[in-house]
Amino acid sequence: MDVAITGIGLVTPLGCNPREILERIDRGESAFQPLADPCGVSPCPSYAPITAFDPTAYFPENKTLRMMSRDAQLAVVAARRAITDANISPGELYRPEEIALYGATGLSGIAPREISRLVRGAAADDGTLDLERFGSVALRRTRPVLSFKILSNMPICFVSIFENICGPNAVFTPWEGNAAQAISAGVRAIRSGSVPCALVGGCDVKTHTLSIAGLQRLGVLDSWGRTGCGTVPGEGATFLVLEGFDRAVDRGARIYARFKDGVRRSISEGELPAEAIHEIFEELQIGSDLPNAIVAAGDDEPRFASAESEAIKQVGISGVKRIEPKRYLGNLFAAAAALNVALAAELVRKSPSGSTAVANCFGWGGEPAAFMLEAL
Amino acid sequence: MRRVVITAIGMISPVGVGREASWSALVEGRSGIGPITRFDARSLPVRIGGEVEPFDEAAIMRQFPGVAKTHDRKVMLGLFAAEEAIAESRLTSDELRDALLYVGVGLESIRLEDLTRYAGAEDLGLSLLQASDDESGWIQTPLDFTAMLLGDAYGFRRGRYTNCSACAAGTQVVGQAWEMLRAGESDVALAGATDSMINPLGLGGFSLLQALSEENDRPAEACRPFDATREGTVLGEGAAFLVLETLDHATARGATPYAEILGYGSSLDAHAVSDPDPAGRGAVDSMRRALQTANLSTAEIDCISAHGTGTPKNDVVETAAIKEVFGDHAQDIPVHAIKSMTGHMIAASGAVETAAAALTIDRRAIPPTINLSEPDPACDLDYVPGRSREFTGRTVLSNSFGFGGQNATLILGIAGSEENRTDQRS
Repeated sequence: MDVAITGIGLVTPLGCNPREILERIDRGESAFQPLADPCGVSPCPSYAPITAFDPTAYFPENKTLRMMSRDAQLAVVAARRAITDANISPGELYRPEEIALYGATGLSGIAPREISRLVRGAAADDGTLDLERFGSVALRRTRPVLSFKILSNMPICFVSIFENICGPNAVFTPWEGNAAQAISAGVRAIRSGSVPCALVGGCDVKTHTLSIAGLQRLGVLDSWGRTGCGTVPGEGATFLVLEGFDRAVDRGARIYARFKDGVRRSISEGELPAEAIHEIFEELQIGSDLPNAIVAAGDDEPRFASAESEAIKQVGISGVKRIEPKRYLGNLFAAAAALNVALAAELVRKSPSGSTAVANCFGWGGEPAAFMLEAL
Repeated sequence: MRRVVITAIGMISPVGVGREASWSALVEGRSGIGPITRFDARSLPVRIGGEVEPFDEAAIMRQFPGVAKTHDRKVMLGLFAAEEAIAESRLTSDELRDALLYVGVGLESIRLEDLTRYAGAEDLGLSLLQASDDESGWIQTPLDFTAMLLGDAYGFRRGRYTNCSACAAGTQVVGQAWEMLRAGESDVALAGATDSMINPLGLGGFSLLQALSEENDRPAEACRPFDATREGTVLGEGAAFLVLETLDHATARGATPYAEILGYGSSLDAHAVSDPDPAGRGAVDSMRRALQTANLSTAEIDCISAHGTGTPKNDVVETAAIKEVFGDHAQDIPVHAIKSMTGHMIAASGAVETAAAALTIDRRAIPPTINLSEPDPACDLDYVPGRSREFTGRTVLSNSFGFGGQNATLILGIAGSEENRTDQRS
């Protein structure tokens, strides 16, 4: 069974509309902002925040907002946009249990202010952990809702609650390749006949100092010190509505693109990403069947960017139109895979029938993947 | 559709280190819940938990030197269970290299002591960035670290998946691996889950949710699923990994299965992040989906491994959902809750309970629900109270219902049985 993309919902540093984002990339607009670094300690000079997102506009009830981390807020808004864009409404066109939800979340994006009270309450004068103070002071100062902000599955659960989605589900984590697995899960669920519709996507927030420090400690930002370039942490949420192709056509849906193929690999430490990426391209046969466009995964992180470029050269598609979103709106990590697929879908939407675009989902985590989308 | 069996099990839990130790304790009805010893919990409202007994961590560190990068205990527990399963499986290195890997995990591990040293700073994150090289260890352990270490050691080139669906994760990963094997993505998968919340942040966070029993004076009796006097669950830690392979692959290499996976269902409550849907619609749907994919009628389920947390809300909702699905037959089905002995291992629970369900089928014994002395009138099924019972049936259904409303159900059966429908639906 063919699978179609019928809805796209985005909240990104370069906007919320795939066409708008592509146009801004074409104009060379960047969402990068200098990372305020009065002490000169930042591992990277820039980050890519979403500057025009006021959560109170979407969640007027303070009680609800207090329970949601920022990535959950972004996820709910992006999911709503995707469902609206697809013109489906759980309970109307599809029963809630007929819609699957496969999402991805990133490494904990809890903001420093959310846990400062807890940390200060638990600290002894010398900075060590004082367990007595933790129980008698820190916990008493901490709101119970903090737990809902740090559980990794919560952003996707909030999506299900706000959109009344009750079908098969899973939450994948924490990198771009893992987020691609969420997309594949949705495609498989529809192809197998398990559900007629799936909402797939991801969310991530890596724009506050705690998350950037976390990336630094993991070595994600090391290349900045060595080479002067590297990953720019960003934030965002991206969701896609997938439907069985025939059913989408029957209901008169606006179809962005059809999934033609999807390939993935797993690579271990020490293995060359370029080889895995080359294998992915070979399996997609994009050397012999040139796509019209590639949405590249690489950013200025030398290891991945050069691996992707090398693989592109090896299969002989260097002349194909290439979009590199991360160079303009940063690395959205768990939200990046669906973003790349969304942009690829927009690229083929108005292209002649049979045109294709490839969305690469490479990067940290060792699970590179790529999807080929086809115009109708 | 290809048939999938479980051919190896690795397990570590509060009731035992290793599969056989855990199973013996479960069948004997022994509790693994006691006072917390790993840190000074005296100031906390909850001072009990299901801790794993000391085990040979040095052996794990020799096999996986990378584990030294993290303080996250669930990584160590997961690797132990995975190694036990891999060792039992006797799969070749080529077979492991070409296998799928599914790992379920819970909350990301952050140590408070890594943060309190910066408590006086205006910006916690900025202070962490300013930290010297001596203090440059990981702040958080990536949730895919267990999968990464196993992948680096064995390959698992067909795909490595990390699922963070909270309490449903351990059941979901087995179900997802089952689906992939049936679809021909591989012949072999290692699927399991690991978790440990026995730390200040984990215990403190869950106590704030008021989901935990505070009966610190009688820990072994504190987790009382379906009992009228139950006050909450008890946190535990542990891991279980299962080797899944197609029946044909297992038969060809002479592997003896524990059980066959017959069906899998998952659903969402879409109700509230903090509480289960009181109507139990998600739980009902999860069980019905599993029955549908197994092509089984409700009359063909012979035993249920309940989610059975011992919280006032869950047990009532789960009981009602079982009755909704199974009708009159619900009264005939033994329903047991091993969390009464292990506590709630969060992401690991589903995997441990699936492993126990496979052992129920293989060893022909149903572990009891302990601490059930005063049944809740609203919970009126046969919960196998106090003592294990002979298992005379063919199938076991296992439920996991998680925070946030994610639900998952697996159905297992006697491996290779003629009665297992080979025409299982997708």
